Amino acid sequence: MRLPRLVGLVCLLVIAVLTILGPSLSGFDPAKQNLRAILLPPGTDGHLLGTDNLGRDIAARILGGAQITLSLAALAVASAAAFGVGLGMLAGWRGGVTDRLLGALSDAVLALPGLLLVLLLAAIRPDSWWTLYAGLALTLWVEFFRVSRARTRVLTASPAVEAARLLGLGRWHVVRRHLWPDLSLQILTLAAFGAATVVTALATLGFISVGLRPPTPEWGVMMAELLPSWREAPWAIAAPVVALAATVLSLRLAAGSEG
Amino acid sequence: MKQPLHALALALLVAAGIGLPDAYAQTRTDVAVAAPWHVSGIDPAQDGYTFQRMEVGETLVDADATGALRPGLATDWTVSDDGLTWRFDIRENVVFHDGSALDAAAAASSLNRAMTRPGILSSVPLEAIEADGNAVVVRLSEPFSAVPAVLANYTTMILAPASFDAEGNVVAFIGTGPFAVDKVETPLSLAVRRFDDYWGEAPAIEAASYLSASRAETRALMAESGDADVAVTLDPAGYAQLKRVDGIAVEAVSIPRSIVLKLNLARGPLADKAAREALSLAIDREGIAAGILRFPDAAATQLFPPVLKGWYDADLPPLAYDPERAAELLAGLGWEKGDDGILTRDGARFALTLRTFPNRPELPLIAAALQDQWRAIGVDLAVSVGNSSEIPAGHQDGSLDVALYARNYGLTPDPVVNTVDDFGTGGGDWGAMNWDAPEVAEALTAALRQSDPEARSAAIHTVASALQQELPVIPIAWYQHTVAYPVALEGLVVDPLERTYGLSAVRWAR
Amino acid sequence: MAISLGKLTLGRIVQAAIVALVVGVVGFAMMEALPGDAAYRIAAGRYGYDMVTGAAAEQVRSELGLDRPAAERLLTWVGQTFTFDLGQSAVTGERVGHAIDHQLGHTVELALVAVAVALLIAVPIGVLAGLRPGSLFDRISAALAIVVRAMPAFLIGIVLMLVLAVELGLVPAAGHGHGGNFVLPALTLGIVLASVLTRVVRNAVAATVASDAFQFALHKGLPMRAAFLRHGVRNAAVPVVAYLGVQMALLLEGVVVVESVFSWPGIGHALTHAIFERDVPMLQGTALTLGLMFVLLSFLADLACRALDPRLNT
Repeated sequence: MRLPRLVGLVCLLVIAVLTILGPSLSGFDPAKQNLRAILLPPGTDGHLLGTDNLGRDIAARILGGAQITLSLAALAVASAAAFGVGLGMLAGWRGGVTDRLLGALSDAVLALPGLLLVLLLAAIRPDSWWTLYAGLALTLWVEFFRVSRARTRVLTASPAVEAARLLGLGRWHVVRRHLWPDLSLQILTLAAFGAATVVTALATLGFISVGLRPPTPEWGVMMAELLPSWREAPWAIAAPVVALAATVLSLRLAAGSEG
Repeated sequence: MKQPLHALALALLVAAGIGLPDAYAQTRTDVAVAAPWHVSGIDPAQDGYTFQRMEVGETLVDADATGALRPGLATDWTVSDDGLTWRFDIRENVVFHDGSALDAAAAASSLNRAMTRPGILSSVPLEAIEADGNAVVVRLSEPFSAVPAVLANYTTMILAPASFDAEGNVVAFIGTGPFAVDKVETPLSLAVRRFDDYWGEAPAIEAASYLSASRAETRALMAESGDADVAVTLDPAGYAQLKRVDGIAVEAVSIPRSIVLKLNLARGPLADKAAREALSLAIDREGIAAGILRFPDAAATQLFPPVLKGWYDADLPPLAYDPERAAELLAGLGWEKGDDGILTRDGARFALTLRTFPNRPELPLIAAALQDQWRAIGVDLAVSVGNSSEIPAGHQDGSLDVALYARNYGLTPDPVVNTVDDFGTGGGDWGAMNWDAPEVAEALTAALRQSDPEARSAAIHTVASALQQELPVIPIAWYQHTVAYPVALEGLVVDPLERTYGLSAVRWAR
Repeated sequence: MAISLGKLTLGRIVQAAIVALVVGVVGFAMMEALPGDAAYRIAAGRYGYDMVTGAAAEQVRSELGLDRPAAERLLTWVGQTFTFDLGQSAVTGERVGHAIDHQLGHTVELALVAVAVALLIAVPIGVLAGLRPGSLFDRISAALAIVVRAMPAFLIGIVLMLVLAVELGLVPAAGHGHGGNFVLPALTLGIVLASVLTRVVRNAVAATVASDAFQFALHKGLPMRAAFLRHGVRNAAVPVVAYLGVQMALLLEGVVVVESVFSWPGIGHALTHAIFERDVPMLQGTALTLGLMFVLLSFLADLACRALDPRLNT
């Protein structure tokens, strides 16, 4: 395994542990305000990363944001992968009308740039985790579909699979023995990229006020809240910026990104 | 406007440490204003306030910075003894921007057209508006003391006959102000140039532009970088930042706008007066003023801010912060804390949803603060930040619990019209909801019809003290209107009524 | 791999039709599902929120026919979409086509400058890195590209705004109207595009350099520079142009974000505002235009690839 990938995976592990431990790690309630102690510098009164514009503990909010962001990423990617890989194998296996219909469906989703589709869907119900989830899963499944369809198509025509078929081994056997081992690695890579896309999209929509909204401690929302205080308290906005960049970078490195 | 080369030269000067306003002083004859509001269209009923503030359109009656009425396009006005007929003498030698002359007929037809659109005129018991000789005559079905104040509102700006098509749609904004429209690019900008045939004193600057920048931090950055000269409605952090910048002056002015919580009194928990009092006592107004608004004086002690002379009542006991007393009051009403820390009574949780909107950057922040402060006394408040129109919609269909907004009591120089709309019988979209207070409605009617100052002030006192005791809306803070401008821009007066940006009086220092 | 020009064109036409249908139907269904009353939202946009009353909303409702059945309005809309009659903005009353005309100009200006900036950054860096794969310069540029790609576009925009406009005072922070206003949005978008493009250029150049034809040219004694100009450029250009086509999605997404951050009066900015103000015709008009722009640009990239690489023509 190459070094960058290892670094990415280790960082991801750290991020995952921190996320699972959550806001309680900071010793503060991410929602608890203190209007008389706003924008405190890091380290003041036990606030590891200082306080935000409403006197809330930034570390607690970063961790709360991590839970929101990463749970969305995990769920959206898992659904997209399940849906995309399932349909992709079906299309690759069956070919014919099924393949063409599913292909047309994926083309229809790709007819619009992904973020645009998520933006439109997110507007159906503003400030809804579930709408964002649906929109992101809908745009992400296509990539899984295309890869697994192409691989399935190649593999089903391969001699090994044909031999297995001739031997009368069932569909599941073929999937388990021949398709899955080949696909799983690519799917993991795609999943890491997909998760990076979700994290970026969520923060972007939050920042331009069409995603999750305050007082949710979502990173993009936090950046929008803290941007006005950037000169007074540059550390405050630095926290979500670093959290976001580190997460996306780790995911991309773990995926084996070469740029 | 600035040329790219110009900007580059400027950048070098700034980099070399030479102050920006000085470098500009010799050559500039224009002013750029940055504000949060869109220029959605040219109909005065639409974003007319921008055309009023940019001094393109004028009203029959004007108001000075203290809110006192003064002649505008009407030189004088009188009311008949029965209070039913108002006469406004139209100023002579006034020409519209298209060169046509202003006369009573043009003014009356402009007002008649305004009557067909939403606006403040719909609050007036109008019978007819007609031209009579050189005067516009307003006939009423019942007395209404605030007609001149209403005719100072932007929706009653006088436009030339050529502004309208056959259906009454505005096809061009042809006003009478010291500036004429040069170019409108909806929804982001409006350019105006000096109108040389203006009836009053001609402005010193030749042109001005209005830029809509909806993000507060963008406006602050534009002011700092010199891309905008006059930046209005700054966020607290931007205000604090600009204060430290050399060559830029910042001003915060108390304006007749209050940040209030509207309560639906038909919601079970809110029907009790004591519960409303408890909710009010749980609000840390000074914390909000100091921590969010960054103006400690902005904490409201009553609904009407001191700038509303005659309506602000110094004798009223101020609203206080006392969460313990609040908890006692609620306990006295039979509310008990459940396992999740939220109060329950007869199996119902004390849970409410607050609606607010982001156009004024502090509102969502205050909503978040209220959520936290009410949770401390066991009230569960969900916050829904959406479009401002969801508040009147919720008022009309009854779906609203609580709403947070900034209400302008200076839409007309005399707030009686708004107050009647808000707190009169049946309440109003931006006022009380399901509040039954006949004595207040009666007092308001008296204030509306009376022109005798003493009787009026007694009626107003009744209204103000009833609002303070009953709390149909809970005042949070008094709005501070903030403006930043280069010190080299002389003569800028910040208008507390937000009627004008004051561009006709400014000049660049030599 | 070879697809006939006719088939390619047909594919893009189908894609355009799908865009129109998806935007029309999804957009409409979306507006129906939005909370609150459309008439109120539109009235607030029109008259300012101090003036929104039940009466104003009723007037908007009857004026725009918002009380007609949903199915009837949807059919009308889809019919109008296919005849390119986009209707009037529910907020400004301006014809959507007319508004988009203005916005499209601004967006295209911004996109062109951004692509130029991206090429100016990506081509020199990519070529230098690709000529010497594995060199220090190659590694640094690769690491940089990875880091920049991890940054959302809005973040790059903010950083540039704070550094160039506020700290250094070199360019205006936001707005539109003179040349200086281009700098920040175009640079932001350009950097976003370049972070991907640099690596594409680099890989294409590296592949070309490693190719037999190129090595043979070097053997013949041609200096590196001449060999590359003669044999490399054209071959390396194909994947770059192809990738530019793929990047159209990135470009359009970037346009929406960057315009919103810098108040650039283009289509992306109009779209986010239309969503907020619940301006059905404007929302669908802007989304449709962005979608069709995407199809058209992808098609142009297809054509450019074919022109550069005759093998693709059959």
